Amino acid sequence: MNSIAIDRSSAAARPVPARPRVVGGVSAGETVIEARGVTKTFGDGSVVALEGASFEAKKGEFISLVGPSGCGKSTLLRIISGLIPKTGGSLSVHGREVTEPRSDIGMMFQKATLLEWRTAIENVLLPTELQRRVTADDKRRAAELLHMVGLKDFEFAFPRQLSGGMQQRVALARLLQTGADILLLDEPFGALDEFTRERLNVELMRVVAEVGGTTFFVTHNIQEAIFLADRVMVMTPRPGRLAKIVDVPFERPRDLSIQQSPEFNALVSEVRDVLGGH
Amino acid sequence: MTDLTQTTPSPALRWWNLSAVLGRVGLHLVIFLGILAAWEAAGRFGLFNDYLVPRPSRIATAIGRLYVTQGAIYWHFFVTLFEAVAGFLVAAAVGIGLAVASALNESFRRYVAPYAIVLNVTPALALTPIVIAWFGFGWSSKIALGAIIAFFPIFVNTLTGLMETDADRHEMFRSLGAKNRQLFWKLRLPAALPMIFAGLKIGMTSALVGVIVAEFTQATEGVGVLMNRYSFQLDMASAIATLLSMSLMGLLLFTLMEILDDRIVFWRRDARMAAVGKARARRALSWRTKPAAARKD
Repeated sequence: MNSIAIDRSSAAARPVPARPRVVGGVSAGETVIEARGVTKTFGDGSVVALEGASFEAKKGEFISLVGPSGCGKSTLLRIISGLIPKTGGSLSVHGREVTEPRSDIGMMFQKATLLEWRTAIENVLLPTELQRRVTADDKRRAAELLHMVGLKDFEFAFPRQLSGGMQQRVALARLLQTGADILLLDEPFGALDEFTRERLNVELMRVVAEVGGTTFFVTHNIQEAIFLADRVMVMTPRPGRLAKIVDVPFERPRDLSIQQSPEFNALVSEVRDVLGGH
Repeated sequence: MTDLTQTTPSPALRWWNLSAVLGRVGLHLVIFLGILAAWEAAGRFGLFNDYLVPRPSRIATAIGRLYVTQGAIYWHFFVTLFEAVAGFLVAAAVGIGLAVASALNESFRRYVAPYAIVLNVTPALALTPIVIAWFGFGWSSKIALGAIIAFFPIFVNTLTGLMETDADRHEMFRSLGAKNRQLFWKLRLPAALPMIFAGLKIGMTSALVGVIVAEFTQATEGVGVLMNRYSFQLDMASAIATLLSMSLMGLLLFTLMEILDDRIVFWRRDARMAAVGKARARRALSWRTKPAAARKD
């Protein structure tokens, strides 16, 4: 895309951003997340939201969490983000146990959660503003991120002037502005129409590959989960449990047409079989 | 350059669309003059008692006397306006202050809110004699009553606005590691501004009512005093002219609040929002790298 080429040329003229950027992304090898028996119970421990989930994630990996309501996928995501405490097991990100929200872990929600009194670029700058004084470099970086998510001419538009899909693009740019390399996305395009969602999914893959982030993507759509991910964590409800992890062997970058292939459909059946037992 | 004109829907009615505006204003004028003419005719042909219901031309003469030949109203007008604004400012400071404290501290809220509610259910105008006994016949009793009446809408609206922050954005701020102070200044307060301004607007007009009622009861200056004097003299034309002055004052204060609202809570109105967006885009030129003649294909 043209706008990306422009980004790179303007990037050359200014200081290199402080955070690491790995282009290409897939499986650089290093394990960045390690979860052992992560459990979440409510009340006196009788209500089990999530039961002993164990998994690992490598740097640059894209992992989907799929399952019906009540399977604990959002709970697991919030535990990884540090927003809610786990009641059992261990979970470390970059070798450090997660106990509270951290700057190396970023989260994006189903609602865009933009501040309607701020322009797009001011919304993108919010994470920086909460940490320190905003510099001209931060602003250029934010503008560059808005270019990257396809909102080149909308830096000074207010959220109410943007469509739902564009608002989520701003939210994605804001997530990237945090500089976090663990990206947690909770049904980020779930409230959008089918067409917009498909297009944004493709762009999401491109963008996270470009910044080299390790991504967890929560969805209840099986096709979407497989299409996006290197691995799919299939979760089942009552009690919320990580039932199976399915590898997705397709090469990147992917095209929407792979969804018609027999291999893709075999994966869909495999996931559906796991979920079907419940 | 960023150009928002293409993305913002243009307002349905453009003010410079002169003929449409003139047409609407013209119709208003015709109706208004028609009513005045009918009233005038009814007065001249003796359908009303001309002393109790003076016809428009006599009211106009009275207005001329008040504002031009005698000029008696200006000082009174200023006194009432000053008292109302002062009362409003006291109410805004105390109301917003207590609301913020209540929003930030649950036990403070628990122990303060009941008093505010008792104050609200008490007919505030009934406090007038007590307030005058406490603060005297001068300006301070008027300011006090204006403040008491304006306090409640400001307090309640501010508190409600601050309490109804939506959970999703709250969680977003927490995930970004925001401190409580940041949560307040960057999320709760701006999100509450539309509610706060709604309260301030009600408070502004309430303060004026409080001040005028206090002037009716006991005062030496202010439009309320003028009103009392003319009514006792059965000079109804002057009394109505004074009443119109009060309307003008109310309109003046309300318009002032509307302008402030429009400026500060700009994101509620499309036209203002577009203007603010453009202004910020212009200001951003200092740091912005101009895209090198790049056009989107």
